[in-house]
Amino acid sequence: MGGYGDVQLLRDDGLRLDGRKLDEMRPVSIEAGILPAADGSAMVTHGLNVAVAAVYGPMEAHPRKIQRQDRAVIDVRYNMAPFSTGDRIRPGYNRRSREISKVTAEALESVVLVERFPRSKIRVEIEILAAEAGTRCAGITAAAVALADAGIPMRDLIVGVASGKVEDIVVLDLDKAEDNYGQADLPVGILPNTGEIAFLQMDGDLSPDEYNLAMEYNFKAAAEIHEIMVDALKRRYEGGEK
Amino acid sequence: MVELVPTLLRQELARLAEDDQRLDGRSQWEGREVSLEVDCLYNAEGSAKVVMGKTIVYAGVKFELRTPWPDRPTQGSLMCGAELRPVAHRKYEPGPPSPESIELGRVVDRGIRESGCIDMESLCIVPGEKVWGVMIDIHVLSDGGNIFDACGLAAIAALRTAIVPAERFDVGEDYKLKVNGTPIMSSFTRVGGRYIYDPSEEEELGGDERIHITLGDEGHLHSLQKGLRGVFTPAEFAEIFDVAHQRCADLRTLVANQEGN
Repeated sequence: MGGYGDVQLLRDDGLRLDGRKLDEMRPVSIEAGILPAADGSAMVTHGLNVAVAAVYGPMEAHPRKIQRQDRAVIDVRYNMAPFSTGDRIRPGYNRRSREISKVTAEALESVVLVERFPRSKIRVEIEILAAEAGTRCAGITAAAVALADAGIPMRDLIVGVASGKVEDIVVLDLDKAEDNYGQADLPVGILPNTGEIAFLQMDGDLSPDEYNLAMEYNFKAAAEIHEIMVDALKRRYEGGEK
Repeated sequence: MVELVPTLLRQELARLAEDDQRLDGRSQWEGREVSLEVDCLYNAEGSAKVVMGKTIVYAGVKFELRTPWPDRPTQGSLMCGAELRPVAHRKYEPGPPSPESIELGRVVDRGIRESGCIDMESLCIVPGEKVWGVMIDIHVLSDGGNIFDACGLAAIAALRTAIVPAERFDVGEDYKLKVNGTPIMSSFTRVGGRYIYDPSEEEELGGDERIHITLGDEGHLHSLQKGLRGVFTPAEFAEIFDVAHQRCADLRTLVANQEGN
């Protein structure tokens, strides 16, 4: 969190700079099955963020040392395209993308029925084409739809959402300015049907009450996004528009 | 990942070639339908998306301020790179840039650079001190064959829509990047013993060497590349060179029409 106190993030009428209410998320749209070369794929547009996920597998796990005798491993790569941000990003892995890839993989391994595919690997590639705060959440949502599109059995979908705090007030779904100058960010991955949480990160400063409110916002948003995810998968498989 | 080339596929491609046919019903010099979208990436200063059959490619243009090379104090720079990330196909693996992705980026780079469509002097802000570096990054999202042509098209289309972000760097007002020309690449692969234009994924898998030709607006050559194992005759080149002129002209019209919208 940047934590600059002198940047005004809430308007005098109580709305946010982009006109959203405190508990209002940015518009989300999802399309499943967009990449012909992949076994499953999805594109998530969340506000100005664009995340694409491709799934390959289950396939033979190699190198052999990553194999697990009793289950599949999920190999996630989260990557920001060089042109996805204001200043160009040098291509290649960095510490941030490695960490996000790791915790995202662990979250997905919590929902995929990995025990069905011993010794195998499922590759999940998350590519961020445009970034405006909230890319890891958009990436998780895209990965879940891509896994479902690939026909991989899961206990539930998983929805990436975040809430945070700006000017001492809890708000849902931080945009770029709120992320840069706000006081806290709480991204989570929620299983919409079971109400469980498979992904959790946080930075900044939140009181217990603020945490509870932020989480309440997150669950509300997850239910909304879940409907959009299901709708995207239905459109893909019910013979509607592709 | 090692890709096995099924003998059956090669046999089938050879049989089809004898009857002057292709797996997907196209004629020898017929390309797949190409869809081009420009200005489609929010944070890029210029962008394009190209879809050719099962191939999907994005290109984005970014600018940076840099000090010029000492021997060229009044010239900016242009760099074009391609990434073949594992998202694009199960055959691509993570790791440092592969020889294939380096070749791809460099062939596209040469076509654009050598066509002279960017006047490097026009990228100078303060001689010897401050010039623009223009970077075109190509991102292959789905490899369904002939990514070279898709990347070349996305790169030049993105470049032609680029806005120089001068305000953000505090060096004046934003303006449209001046691009004098539309270099276009045409690619040919030997399949079943003869060359075909715009190979599909199966044709690349069961085919042999490939030839890439980049032509400028006047029909001049700006970049040539032969890739993979195999040889060709001057007569074969003469034939595909003729085809390349037509296909490049068609794609150049497509770029012009997109810009008109």
